[in-house]
Amino acid sequence: MDRQSSIEHILDHFENPRHKGRMADADVQLGGGNPGCGDLITLYLKIGDEGKIDAVSFDGEGCTISQAGGSIIAEMVEGMTLAEVKELDSRTMMDEMGEDVVKSRVRCATLALGTLQGAVKLYEQNQQRATVGIDAVIGDEAIRFEN
Amino acid sequence: MTAVQPDSAQTNRGYAHPEVLVSTDWVAAHLDDPNVRIVESDEDILLYDIGHIPGAVKLDWHTDLQNPVARDFVDKAGFEDLMNRAGISNDTTVVFYGDRNNWYACYTFWLFQYYGHADSRVMDGGRAKWEAEGRGWSRDYPAFSGGGYTAKEADPAIRAFRDDVLAQVNAGAPSLVDVRSPAEYTGEVIHMVNYPQEGAQRGGHVKGAKNIPWAKAANEDGTFKGPDELSALYAGQGITPDKAVIAYCRIGERSSHTWFVLKYLLGYPNVRNYDGSWTEWGSMVNVPIEKGA
Repeated sequence: MDRQSSIEHILDHFENPRHKGRMADADVQLGGGNPGCGDLITLYLKIGDEGKIDAVSFDGEGCTISQAGGSIIAEMVEGMTLAEVKELDSRTMMDEMGEDVVKSRVRCATLALGTLQGAVKLYEQNQQRATVGIDAVIGDEAIRFEN
Repeated sequence: MTAVQPDSAQTNRGYAHPEVLVSTDWVAAHLDDPNVRIVESDEDILLYDIGHIPGAVKLDWHTDLQNPVARDFVDKAGFEDLMNRAGISNDTTVVFYGDRNNWYACYTFWLFQYYGHADSRVMDGGRAKWEAEGRGWSRDYPAFSGGGYTAKEADPAIRAFRDDVLAQVNAGAPSLVDVRSPAEYTGEVIHMVNYPQEGAQRGGHVKGAKNIPWAKAANEDGTFKGPDELSALYAGQGITPDKAVIAYCRIGERSSHTWFVLKYLLGYPNVRNYDGSWTEWGSMVNVPIEKGA
């Protein structure tokens, strides 16, 4: 994609977000954000028996790139295995959003992905907790920070 | 070129320098004024692409204003190049606006003052007020060019460095204004789950700094509060016009807002912005830091 196409792609996800909204019956949820710039995001996941993401949603507020990143990553990972999700990295977001556009805002571009991978890690820890009879930790949603 | 008249709506508000402030009405009336260049400076780098005031040019605080290698701003020659690319001449009236209550609009205004641009103004209320009033956005990208801009030497009277701050602390009774939120000032906020805050190694504030969050100077609609309220706000914490005041935040953008208020709306003669701010001070070895309220 050229720069303008990348911008249009990001704006489309920002203005018409996919998978946006809280999920009341998520298997795991996790909030992330950067209090310095006010970007907040929470990822919600339902995980199937085969270790695949059956449903995913996000909620949050913040800059165009951080929120479009939530929509893009949610659309991308639905149906993926947890192992596949863990293999994604900042390059994934650069490729999706256009390196030229987001290279100065990598933290914003990777906020949703990093939070998603944190949620996956929390889910796997919960699986281990279950084997020894410890209750699962649902995870915290992002909290608005006054700056 | 004829000088662009100030916004007459500002002159009776009681500010010390009303000529640096314009209303959204004034901007709307000057969209086609060839002597005026409207500049959008945001934190959100794509807001301009979503829509901007017709004819406005974008100056990104990160990619346009910063030195790409050292932690510093563009130098004098770099600033001149930037002006020429933006079609700004020495006698252009430049009007800044942006997101987040004009943080980066004030930050860019501050840099323009640093290099001595003659006529810079801020649109009161910024991007949010323009949008709330239902005024139009454009997705056209105006193309400007120019040449021959001559910047002045950087003005050290409006920029503070770490040694200036340290000198005040060591002398006792510093006039430092920490404009961050109370949680940042006390050191309570370091990071959120899974997302360590970029920047400083330590939480807290410069020893002796007063906490006057930037937002206390703004109304709900993003406009600046009136002079009486502002004067009481700062004087009430001992930040008075007779002192050499230094404002800081995390990277100098929020403190640019406060610097603008103190220097132009209240007319304090000696105010500097410490752009190194907490990301520098909170990471330096062997400097005085306090935690708590």
